Amino acid sequence: MRNILYILFLIVSTVHSQEKMTTAEATILKEKVKAQAALTETITSDFVQYKHLDFLANDIITKGDLNFKTPNMVKWSYVDPFVYSVIFKDENLYINDEGQKSDVNLSSSKLFRQLNKLIVNSLKGDMFDDKEFDITYFKTATNSDVHFVPVNKKISKYIKAFHIQFNNKGDVVEIKMIEPSDDYTRIVFSNRILNKTVSDAVFAH
Amino acid sequence: MRYLLISIFCCLISCASYTKKNNFLEAESVNEVIHNPYFSDASKDYVYKAKIDVYNKSFGGIFIVKKIAKNSHRVVFTTEMGNKIFDFLFQDDDFKVNYILEEMDKKILLNILEKDFRVLIRENENVLSKSINDNLTLLETKIVNKKYFYAFKGEKLNSISRVSMGKERVVFLFSKISDASAKNIQILHKNIKLTINLKSI
Repeated sequence: MRNILYILFLIVSTVHSQEKMTTAEATILKEKVKAQAALTETITSDFVQYKHLDFLANDIITKGDLNFKTPNMVKWSYVDPFVYSVIFKDENLYINDEGQKSDVNLSSSKLFRQLNKLIVNSLKGDMFDDKEFDITYFKTATNSDVHFVPVNKKISKYIKAFHIQFNNKGDVVEIKMIEPSDDYTRIVFSNRILNKTVSDAVFAH
Repeated sequence: MRYLLISIFCCLISCASYTKKNNFLEAESVNEVIHNPYFSDASKDYVYKAKIDVYNKSFGGIFIVKKIAKNSHRVVFTTEMGNKIFDFLFQDDDFKVNYILEEMDKKILLNILEKDFRVLIRENENVLSKSINDNLTLLETKIVNKKYFYAFKGEKLNSISRVSMGKERVVFLFSKISDASAKNIQILHKNIKLTINLKSI
């Protein structure tokens, strides 16, 4: 009997581990993140990426570091298990694949520009645009978890939802991009530092 | 007349069998079955860093293969950042596209990818002929009406060649082989400029 109660308690506490925020709580979070984003000139961070495919036994784990500099330069550098970097800069994608360099111009693709804008905004956490997303606010024991569902059909064909987790300071600690198939990419940040000097040379190709 | 003779001669040479051209001697094969072990373990996630060179363009990604049931495999390609490019299901001789990026949804390309990946994942094939040259054994089979030669060095499958009119059209090279898996795989197309390099990660 005690075991059953214990199991019930566990189930109940799991269900309750993520509950919806009140409107007031959501407003406070939104303002905190927006204020933080407005002051963010640079972000440097380590990250671990988990690619989840429902049929795999384990997520595919890749690791690296990230540099962001306002208004819209982003560099993702993967170091493990392969060396690869991609820079988003001036409507171009610059790729360095184990020393082999290539670039892709995105100016002709509105969709890619939109996706790029989303990536930059999600890094800062500032995606609170009710015209572009249906937004739902949740709180967990330690973090806030905000679900952004794109309204634009062209975008929702690629990404069903973004789930962004913020710590109590309003920093982004995790981004989850969910595909229409429910497979997802989860990126967990660590050693995240705001407004450290980041040289433009970091984004040179 | 001389032109005709040259033509006939050329034709005879090019029509010579693939095995003879490569100095293989025919051997007897009694009820032998080809076994390709490289994607046959259902408990394993096969994950490769891929580099694809096509007509002087090069792009990379993550290539994933998983055996999900007997004679059934999922083959998925994503960018390094995790965006899915294609997601295929192979089940016996059937082929289903679960997803493909709109820009890549071209019949001709899908045909090539289907044929290439089908060969990678097929495990057991009947042997139609067997020939031997030094320490290499060449086993011939047919997969969905295409002729293939599997080259074994001892127990190890070194390469697979798709052959038509006595010529190699596509070659699959397996290297750094251990524990029934190939750490490096190269798919080389001879009649179009397409090369796929896979490195296990």
